[in-house]
Amino acid sequence: MSATLTPGQVGAAAPTTSTRPVESRWERIAPYGYVAPFYLLFAVFGLMPLLFTFYVSLFDWNPIGAHTFVGLDNFRKLADDPRFWNAFRNTFSIWLMSTVPQLLLALVLAQVLNSARLRFANLFRMSMLLPYITSVAATTIVFAQLFDRDYGLLNWFIGLLGFQHIDFMSTALSSHVLISVMVIWRWFGYNTLLYLASLQAVPRDLYEAAAVDGAGPVKQFRHITLPALRPVIVFTVITSTIGGLQIFTEPLLLSGGLLTCGSARQCQTLSLFLFEQGFGSFKFGYGSAIGVALFVIIVVIAFVNYLLSSRLGNREGKAVR
Amino acid sequence: MNALPQLSMTRRRALALSAAVGGTALASTACSSGGSGGSGDPNTFDFWSFTGIGQKDDVAAYKKLAPEVNVKLTEVGSSTETAQALTTALAGGKVPDLCLIQATELPKFIENAGNFVDLGTLGADDLEGDYLDWVISQAKTSDDVLIGIPTDVGGMGVAYRTDFFAAAGLPTDRTEVGKLWPTWDDFIATGQKYTTATGKPFMDNANTTVFLQAVSQGAEQYYDDEGQPVYDTNPAVRESFDLALKAIAAKVTARLGTFTDGWTAALGKGDFAAMSAPSWMLGSIRSAAPDSKGKWDVAVIPGGSGNWGGSYLVIPARAANPKAAWNYVKTMQSPEQQLQHFLTSGSLPTTPSNYEKPELTGYTDPFFGNAPTGQIFTQSVLGLKAFKVGPNTGEISTAFLDALTGVEQDGAPADAAWDTAVKNAKTAIGA
Repeated sequence: MSATLTPGQVGAAAPTTSTRPVESRWERIAPYGYVAPFYLLFAVFGLMPLLFTFYVSLFDWNPIGAHTFVGLDNFRKLADDPRFWNAFRNTFSIWLMSTVPQLLLALVLAQVLNSARLRFANLFRMSMLLPYITSVAATTIVFAQLFDRDYGLLNWFIGLLGFQHIDFMSTALSSHVLISVMVIWRWFGYNTLLYLASLQAVPRDLYEAAAVDGAGPVKQFRHITLPALRPVIVFTVITSTIGGLQIFTEPLLLSGGLLTCGSARQCQTLSLFLFEQGFGSFKFGYGSAIGVALFVIIVVIAFVNYLLSSRLGNREGKAVR
Repeated sequence: MNALPQLSMTRRRALALSAAVGGTALASTACSSGGSGGSGDPNTFDFWSFTGIGQKDDVAAYKKLAPEVNVKLTEVGSSTETAQALTTALAGGKVPDLCLIQATELPKFIENAGNFVDLGTLGADDLEGDYLDWVISQAKTSDDVLIGIPTDVGGMGVAYRTDFFAAAGLPTDRTEVGKLWPTWDDFIATGQKYTTATGKPFMDNANTTVFLQAVSQGAEQYYDDEGQPVYDTNPAVRESFDLALKAIAAKVTARLGTFTDGWTAALGKGDFAAMSAPSWMLGSIRSAAPDSKGKWDVAVIPGGSGNWGGSYLVIPARAANPKAAWNYVKTMQSPEQQLQHFLTSGSLPTTPSNYEKPELTGYTDPFFGNAPTGQIFTQSVLGLKAFKVGPNTGEISTAFLDALTGVEQDGAPADAAWDTAVKNAKTAIGA
């Protein structure tokens, strides 16, 4: 702060304050540069449509005619629409029936496939992925032929035994079971492999030590396996929730392409209802309102699931440590 | 119209939908803008049609008549899919110059007629007289603007298996068979005779074979002449509904939804003996049951009249080349060309001047025991009275058909079916 200050002194201070900050500024900016492409694309193809859907849901929006602003009217109608609650119940029921058994099955299978005594383990592990890589349409054709009322293999067998044929698509419960069986068949292998990968990261000596301490298989599972799997369980629960609540293709194809999925809408899911209103009846505003409702429902349920599943094995996990 | 294209269309639709769930498709259809201005090669135009209706033949025929014109035909998918694609395009994409729309899909487009060329401005007034009055009137707005030219109607008959009828001790000659069922009650009674004799179902189902036909034989259907919905008060709707319930209660139906996989399989195996069949349905039977050639015949439908389906050609207002499209319509939908189209694809002309031509009246179908199908189908549309088609005719119809399917296939109580249907129709119109 005085006249004695020389340029040299300033320069002497410069190396620490000028070269380091430049470097760290780039270091601070670079990550944003690397993630930018995704977030730009997300803004254009994810966020924009989402906001626009919300905007459209405030209108009585005929795609080829008038767009009349109606405020929250569509949501009010939705709350009073028995078809919406029916679709909500169906979606929830199918999701529950498919996700819970599927993840439990995957957990058990992953244990078995991780067993040191299993021969040809890789062959079995690879075959788990077969249902997953088969196209949904192809899977559905096979299922439709197995479970058809008049000409299905299963009903042929039931008929041989002298029983009445079962029409799986005729009641809510049986159609939900059939759809869930299809979803389980398609996804259990995928989840099994995820669990398996996580299991293989658990050091074997943990189990050996536990065995020496006298812990049986059940205790080992609760205190070692579950805590180790917790992150991947949280992941699978959330992805299954998102996928399960958006289920569309399976009920559509099993009902022979009916958007109502049955005479009493017995297996119509929220996605099918959305499409029926938006593209079948050209009510884009109402369809968008269903889309917004579906979005909110998924966010809420996924969050609740996250809270529940992240508590899974938490205490035990701490106990081991 | 048969199982395979239906499957591929649902799959495609399913793919489009995984995007729509997040709102993407809703948004992209609505906010993309642009389209074609009115420039472009005057000798090239885009034509969207649905599959299974033989438009390729028409386009090929046109290329011979007008070799300098290049028609770009796209078979979008099912009739529903084509209407959806057109809607999306009209909402803000690139529109075709010409599009084929099924009769049941047309009312929603008429409600928004501004999206289409007023065909009167292209000279349609001079041609209007060539077509059936009631068919062309259904392509007009309330202010008499014409937006579509009818390509075909679905004249009705009953297709039946002569071998099964003989086994059940029923007559097999088509005139005698027609005399079995002057009314729908007689038709059901014949079914009971057949089922008692053979133990097998008589018809495919009660909803399209009985209800859909009976309800279209009145002068009024779901809307009155002023366009007010009357589906819940019109006695003709109730009577048709009760007839279908009666057929279900008589246990003479195979409980198979039309066009389902089970229905196609049953046709192939010969698991029922009779069904109501419009002219275009004969093609579906032929492809679903190729081995049954010669075992079928066609008789008149109970009540004598009826129409199921039919299509229209429309030109979007933003079409790049409406003139070329109109020239095509004018040429290919002339009475002469519609007659040719009937001879190659079996779709019944909408031009009554053909109905006395020997090519049509004398036309016989070898697959159907040389039945004079041209004559039978023609008679059924001549007996038809026009009724008003409203914007929600499709939704109302679905509500009634679904309620009947519920009783027939899914164990819903029959005495509650009417109330269910009316309630669901109300919900569908209201929301």
